[in-house]
Amino acid sequence: MTPLEEIISTCRQLAFDLNFSRAKAWKAQDPQRVLVGFTPIYFPREVVHAAKGLAVGILGAGDRKPIIKGDAYYQSYICHMPRGIVELALDGNLDGFDGFVFPSICDVMRNLSGMFQLMGKGRFAKYMDFPQNFRAEIGGAFYKAEMEDVLRRIEAINGVQVTADALDRSIALYDRNRAMLAAIYDIRQDHPWRLAYEDLYCIMRAGLVMPVEEHNAMLEQVLEAIGRERGVPEDRIKVVVAGAFCEQPPLGLIKTIEAAGCYVVDDDFLLGSRWIEGAVGGGNGDPLAAIADAYLTRSVQSSVVYDVGNPKEKRLLDLARRRGADGLVFAAPSFCDPALLDQPLYFHQCEKEGVRYVQFQYNENTGQFKVIKEQVGAFADSIKLWEGEAATA
Amino acid sequence: MNDKGILTMGVDVGGSYVKTVLMRYDQATGDHRLFDRQVEKIRKRNPKDVVVDAVAMVLERNALDYERDIAYLASTGEGELVERKTGHFYSMTTHARGGLFLCPGARTVVDMGALYVRAISIDERGRVLDYKMTGQCASGSGQFIENISRYLGLSIDEVGPISLKSDKPELPSGICAVLAETDVINSVSRGVSTPNIIKGIHLSIANRSIRLLSSLKAQEPVALMGGIAMNIGMVDAMEELSREGRKPLRMVTHPDAIYSGAIGAALWGGYRHHRIKDRAAVVAA
Repeated sequence: MTPLEEIISTCRQLAFDLNFSRAKAWKAQDPQRVLVGFTPIYFPREVVHAAKGLAVGILGAGDRKPIIKGDAYYQSYICHMPRGIVELALDGNLDGFDGFVFPSICDVMRNLSGMFQLMGKGRFAKYMDFPQNFRAEIGGAFYKAEMEDVLRRIEAINGVQVTADALDRSIALYDRNRAMLAAIYDIRQDHPWRLAYEDLYCIMRAGLVMPVEEHNAMLEQVLEAIGRERGVPEDRIKVVVAGAFCEQPPLGLIKTIEAAGCYVVDDDFLLGSRWIEGAVGGGNGDPLAAIADAYLTRSVQSSVVYDVGNPKEKRLLDLARRRGADGLVFAAPSFCDPALLDQPLYFHQCEKEGVRYVQFQYNENTGQFKVIKEQVGAFADSIKLWEGEAATA
Repeated sequence: MNDKGILTMGVDVGGSYVKTVLMRYDQATGDHRLFDRQVEKIRKRNPKDVVVDAVAMVLERNALDYERDIAYLASTGEGELVERKTGHFYSMTTHARGGLFLCPGARTVVDMGALYVRAISIDERGRVLDYKMTGQCASGSGQFIENISRYLGLSIDEVGPISLKSDKPELPSGICAVLAETDVINSVSRGVSTPNIIKGIHLSIANRSIRLLSSLKAQEPVALMGGIAMNIGMVDAMEELSREGRKPLRMVTHPDAIYSGAIGAALWGGYRHHRIKDRAAVVAA
């Protein structure tokens, strides 16, 4: 195996390890270390890192665990991911985690944080609100207070008082991580055959369950490998995938999109890993203010950011244009209110600007991809063969 | 062979067979030619290996080199099993185009494959306008005919001609392959003749296909494509049921019907080859 193939193989294992073995092994090396689980979309991991902790992404049970107990916690019209997370918690997969953060995204996640509190999982379970007011003195101050609260809760566990220097060092590590991911996306924009999206997804997802230092070392090798020509280009359309920012589809579905004749050149699958566009920076003596400023001014477009002055539908289409995408694939989890409620906005904008799109829904444990393959395959052909003509059935 | 047009290949990986064609695509005159064809039953082999062997066989037979001579190799069906390809097309797109190539003037293509039947309404360029397909039940598929022929000790080539000898077809359950197979066993034990059992199976599948055509409001001529369309008994059953219907449709087929997907892939591959070249020229200019 080449070094890149080894990295992909390792990441594939780590990314879907429902026991979070790598994170737990890391914690076991030092009694002061803490594990803080967080759910999608975005959480400033550098804050936990500076406090001798590891922020671990919890993305549900996917298609790797039958859900029995989790179903008892949610009505049938609720999405699938929280059921998987409850199942993991009740089955002991999350034992060893010191705390949990549930970033504000929807009511279902708010309820999930409450369930964790009732179940007594971890030393704390925090529903973390994010500002929707984008003025530094209001939204920024609020967000800083939220981060300080997380630090206080961690300090209560391991006694670590975080300094500005420690935060700056952590910010630099995550800035490097985001910069390398951005560089990989930039390379794939023009040379998507050098790294299958399925592989990139595993590499990114593994980054949510391992120390950032290790992930950065991997990303350096990935960049080095795909900086040179590898793989064989195929005649496919380029697409941007939108709507999959929370509950993750099974890997088979992601593979299906590319197998149906597409190259995924941008997406929101693991949006939290690439949330800040550019660097957070820091080094100004107030690193939390730097993180807050990055959130307020350099967040990616998302269904959970209500920035009316910067319409998300326009930003999504700008992104598609920047990536040279031929069309958009709207892939949303069933019953995902944030994703599905935004779709009419996106569809309207696509139609207004003559951008082709296809849409389907999935669950994290979807097992049949045939229909999706047909939909996406027909979509790809319609662009390759009938560009400029109106769509048919 | 290279004097006019370019050479393209199409590989259709289906549920039971891998179909490979070599074509000459002439963008300027539209005079496209089918040069060579190869069909391989997958059996218990790795489909990827079957594809590699089939492509190599066609290239060798025509003294061609893949890198040097083939402008575009297009996959369809289970395209991910074709590792060395230029591009992939969705099977409905390719069967539509392949059906039009084999049966010029067709306005509807019925793709009768190993695992399902699909009726596709097309325009004069082979563009898909609408479609209807059977569900995932195996009783409306070529695989079902193969299973029944095996139970009855017949080779798949014998099934069509034997079906034509039927005088009183025995219709099985049209709902489920498992029930239908039980019906067939019962028929055998009741002494129903083999031609009548086989004809009954054909009529059962034809009935599903005719219903698809009717819900599609299909226009004629209807091109019957895919592996089952090579079966004379199946074509006969389709024509018979169509004649009995409220709106009889003219059915046509072709001896190369099993290659329609691969042919469509090769033709669209040729089209894309020129399109990409034209676009590159525009960018360069």
